[in-house]
Amino acid sequence: MFNNYNLFQNSDNSSKKSNFNNLIRKGSDVKLVSVIKSMTLQGLEGVLVNVEVDVSSGMPAWNVVGLPDTAIKESKERIRTAIKNCDVELLSRKYIINLSPADIRKEGSSLDLSMAVGILKCIEKIGDFDVNNTVFLGELSLDAKIKKINGILPICLEAKKQGIKRIILPMANSKEASVVDGLEIIGVKDLEEVIKYLNGEILVEPTKVNIKELFMKDIGEELDFAEVKGQESIKRALEISAAGRT
Amino acid sequence: MSFNSEIRGSGKTMMARRLTSILPDISFEEALEISKIHSVAGKIGNNTIINKRPFRSPHHTISTTGLIGGGSYPKPGEISLSHFGVLFLDELPEFNKKTIEVLRGPLEDREVTISRANATYSYPCNFMLVASMNPCPCGFYGSPDKECTCTEKQRNMYRNKISGPILDRIDIQIEVPNVKYSKLEGKAGESSESIRSRVNKAREIQLNRYKGLNIYSNAELTPKLVEIVCKLNEPSKIILKNSFEKLKLSARAYTRILKVARTIADLDGKKDIETTHIIEAISYRSLDRK
Repeated sequence: MFNNYNLFQNSDNSSKKSNFNNLIRKGSDVKLVSVIKSMTLQGLEGVLVNVEVDVSSGMPAWNVVGLPDTAIKESKERIRTAIKNCDVELLSRKYIINLSPADIRKEGSSLDLSMAVGILKCIEKIGDFDVNNTVFLGELSLDAKIKKINGILPICLEAKKQGIKRIILPMANSKEASVVDGLEIIGVKDLEEVIKYLNGEILVEPTKVNIKELFMKDIGEELDFAEVKGQESIKRALEISAAGRT
Repeated sequence: MSFNSEIRGSGKTMMARRLTSILPDISFEEALEISKIHSVAGKIGNNTIINKRPFRSPHHTISTTGLIGGGSYPKPGEISLSHFGVLFLDELPEFNKKTIEVLRGPLEDREVTISRANATYSYPCNFMLVASMNPCPCGFYGSPDKECTCTEKQRNMYRNKISGPILDRIDIQIEVPNVKYSKLEGKAGESSESIRSRVNKAREIQLNRYKGLNIYSNAELTPKLVEIVCKLNEPSKIILKNSFEKLKLSARAYTRILKVARTIADLDGKKDIETTHIIEAISYRSLDRK
């Protein structure tokens, strides 16, 4: 005890400082902040959300700020596990995620992918890409698969209005999204594919559909009035209401 | 639009389901708007775009939120899901009275605004309301073949479940008679396609007439426009005046009769509303007469 005290007393002041510096350096093998674009829904309109991620040393923590709902707060476990299952080690650090604009309530799981990409970019598992013109959407599952979300169509319409060029979203949503022309729709299956795609290791073909063809496509047989016998007066009333939409 | 069924099992549900097949052809903008709402509600399924007018028929146990939308994370309700399509409320008196009453505003505005502590959302709901009901709880009141077993009080209670303001907003009310056996054996009715071609023609007349006015059908006419496009000749005016006093119609019912008469004239391809048109329109207010 006494010895220890002595040791401490005798230890050189500068070396103590360098120890501390080492500690910081250990934690600062990461970039300060990465900003990833994503979108959420407000009623029938899409709203652009900037997902700001900061990874720093300090007490290990995981905080999501910017009015997240329960689904977003719970995303911590999904994102952590998904990243781990992509063979990326996530060290004990202080992870702060801010969803800006911070005064709008965000809901749902569509921000999962953007938060994961933000973290991976911070720890430099993902290199530089066109951050400002790319929107990420999708819910993560524990095995890093990217799952379908709701409201893709209004979101993509708004993204186009905001001048976004590329949207990376779940494969299951890609056809619905490609109804909006002028956007590069990249449908992805899992987080690993996203990492490889952004790092330029693989190419993913943008989804394209022939919207005219889809619109004209006949979906199944429709019920027909020919099956209704008699009731002419009712059919007449229905015809009038159909004509005037009363 | 409402059915007042005379006798059970006469096919009101069957016909309501076929209504979407005679609605005017859907435009791309309309399809996109419908798809947007269904996308938010998570009901788009494997479709990329919904290219059919929706038909929704919620069960009568539906809650107010389920019908008009809302919830702590607001979602569009059934009325928005039937945007540009048909909302069919089978057995209207069985619905919770409060649930039906909330339809008043959306039916007029064609939009529903949901305000919650954290946000205010507007969902469009330009739908056609179709409802059906029985004449009394047992279903045989007024039937020529079978006697009704309900008391006067029971019948009144059943009718009173639907308030005047809601009835007022239903333009076409019609009784569905039982089908005669000879008809059941007869040949098939007119196909939806041929009915739709007439509907499309009538709608085209309306579109041309309302060019630049930001409305698309007779139903959307404002009171001011009704005065301009629904002019009546002298005999028609007298007929309308007489029936108005006799049936004790409301001011809203009056403009609605005019709109229906305008539509009948459009289907007829006539420029002006004629006496036969107005008589047919008045005949569709069967519930006001009771």
